[in-house]
Amino acid sequence: MMAAAEKFVEADNAEAIITRIEHKSRKIESLLKQNKPVEALKTALEGSSHMIRDERCKSANWIVVHRALMAIKDVEGMFSSLDPEYYDILMKYLYRGLSTGDRPTCDQCLRIHEKLTERAGLGCILRSLADTVNAI
Amino acid sequence: MAAVAVHQFAQCITCHAWSPDHSMVALCPNNNEVHIYRLVNDKWEKVHVLQKHDQIVSGIDWSGKSNRIVSVSHDRNSYVWNREGPEWVPTLVILRLNRAALCVQWSPKENKFAVGSGAKTVCVCYYEQENNWWVSKVIRKKHDSSVTSVAWHPNNILLATTSTDGKCRVFSTFIKGVDTRESKTGSSSDPKFGEQIVQLDLSSSWTFGVKWSPSGNTLAYVGHNSMIYFVDDIGPSPLAQNVAFRNLPLRDVQFFSEKMVIGVGFDCNPMIFAADKSGLWSFIRFLGERKESLSGPKSGSQFSEAFGKLYGQAKHGLSNDTVEPSKIQGAVHDNCINCIALLNKKGSETKRFSTSGMDGKVVIWDLGNQQDLKEYL
Repeated sequence: MMAAAEKFVEADNAEAIITRIEHKSRKIESLLKQNKPVEALKTALEGSSHMIRDERCKSANWIVVHRALMAIKDVEGMFSSLDPEYYDILMKYLYRGLSTGDRPTCDQCLRIHEKLTERAGLGCILRSLADTVNAI
Repeated sequence: MAAVAVHQFAQCITCHAWSPDHSMVALCPNNNEVHIYRLVNDKWEKVHVLQKHDQIVSGIDWSGKSNRIVSVSHDRNSYVWNREGPEWVPTLVILRLNRAALCVQWSPKENKFAVGSGAKTVCVCYYEQENNWWVSKVIRKKHDSSVTSVAWHPNNILLATTSTDGKCRVFSTFIKGVDTRESKTGSSSDPKFGEQIVQLDLSSSWTFGVKWSPSGNTLAYVGHNSMIYFVDDIGPSPLAQNVAFRNLPLRDVQFFSEKMVIGVGFDCNPMIFAADKSGLWSFIRFLGERKESLSGPKSGSQFSEAFGKLYGQAKHGLSNDTVEPSKIQGAVHDNCINCIALLNKKGSETKRFSTSGMDGKVVIWDLGNQQDLKEYL
C-alpha cells in the first residue's frame, strides 16, 4: 500500500523535478555565456542526489551535468574554486560519463577523474561505487 | 615508530585475541583451527592447537577474568574452551544456525556472549548452571542481511550490531536470571530480550566494526563506503556524525578514550580519529609510517600502475613517475588489517594495541611516544 502511494507521489514529483532541471539548464547556459564554467558545474550538480528515482529525471539531469562538464577547459583551475562538498557527486557523474563510451566525453571525464582522485582520494571513488541508494 | 613488534604467524590471519595477562595470543591462521602462541624468551612458540571446527574460524574472544576462549566458525557452531590443567577442553554451544557464524564477543561480565551470523540473526548465549550447558537465545527478524560485528555496552545488557544491510542496531539482551534489572536508570526502563532500542540508517553500504566508547555514551562503526560514523545519545533521537575520509574503507575500530578512535582496514595502516573540544570528530593522521604522496596515485603506491594505464588513454604517453612496488613503502602491514585488539596493562597509562590482517602478521603498537595524541588520551 505504502509502495503504491510512493509511486503515485513520485510521478507527480517527476514533473516538478523535470521543470527544475529545465530551469537549471537555462541558468547554466547563462553562466557559460558569462564564462563561468565552475559556477555552471556547481549549479548542475546541486540537488542531484536526493529523491531522483525516475529514469527520465536522471537522464535529464545527466544531460545538464554533461553540458557543464564538457565546458570545463581549465581542470586545475576548476578545483581551486570547487568546494569539497561537490566531490562525491562529481565522481558519480564522472563514472556515468565514462560509461557512455563516447570518446570526447570519456577524454574529458578521465582528465577530471585524475585531478579529482588526487584531491579527494580513493575514498571518493569508493563512495561513488558503494552508494546504491542514491544512484544517479 | 609506533609499531613496537611485528610477527609473521601465518600466511593470513582471520582474527586474534589475547590471554588475560597478554602472554599468549589465540589466532586463526585462515583455517579451521585456533592456534595459541606463547611468548617465550622473545620468541613466539605454538603451545596449543584447538581443533574442533570443520570450517574457517571467523571469530575468537578470550575472556579477561574467567580465562575462557569462545570460538565461532563458518561451520555454524561455537565452542567455549575451558582450561583444565594443560589442556583446553571444548564445550559445544548449540546455536541452531543454518548459516555461518561470523563474529563473537564476550559480554563485559563474561556471563554471556553474542554471535553474529550469516542467517541474519544474533545468538546471545548464557550458561545454565543446573544443566551445565550454554543456552542460546536468538534475536531474529530485525536484520535484513548478515550480521558482521557485535559489541557489548559496558552495562552488559545493550548490544550493538552491524550488518551488510547497511544499518547499525542496538538491542537489549536482558535475560531473566542472568541479568539484574536496574530500576530507574536512564537508558532503558523496560528492557525485553531482543527489543530493538535504535536502528541507525546512516550508511548506504555494508557496515562493519562497531564499538562502544569506554563509558558507553558513544558508538562508532564503519561503512564500506570509506566512512566512519560516530553516534551519541543512543535512544529515540540519536546524534550522529558522518565522517568521510579520502582513503580505502576500514574494517574494524577501537576506542582508546572518549575522544579517540583508531580504525584499521584496507589501507594497511591504523587511522586515528579524534573529537575536538566541541565534540566534532575528524581524521587526524595515520599511525604508522607512510610515504607522503604529493600527487595522489603517482608515488610508490600499489595503484600507480593501474591509474597510469587508465589516464594514459586520455594522454599521449604514460607519466614516467608511475613506477614499481606493489608494496606500500613504510607500512608495517602489507595487506588488509581486519582485527584490532586492546593491550592495556592494568594501572598503566600506556596505550598499547595489536592488529592482525590478511598478511598473516600480528603487529603490536604503542601510543606512548606519540606526543600529538596525548591530549586525546
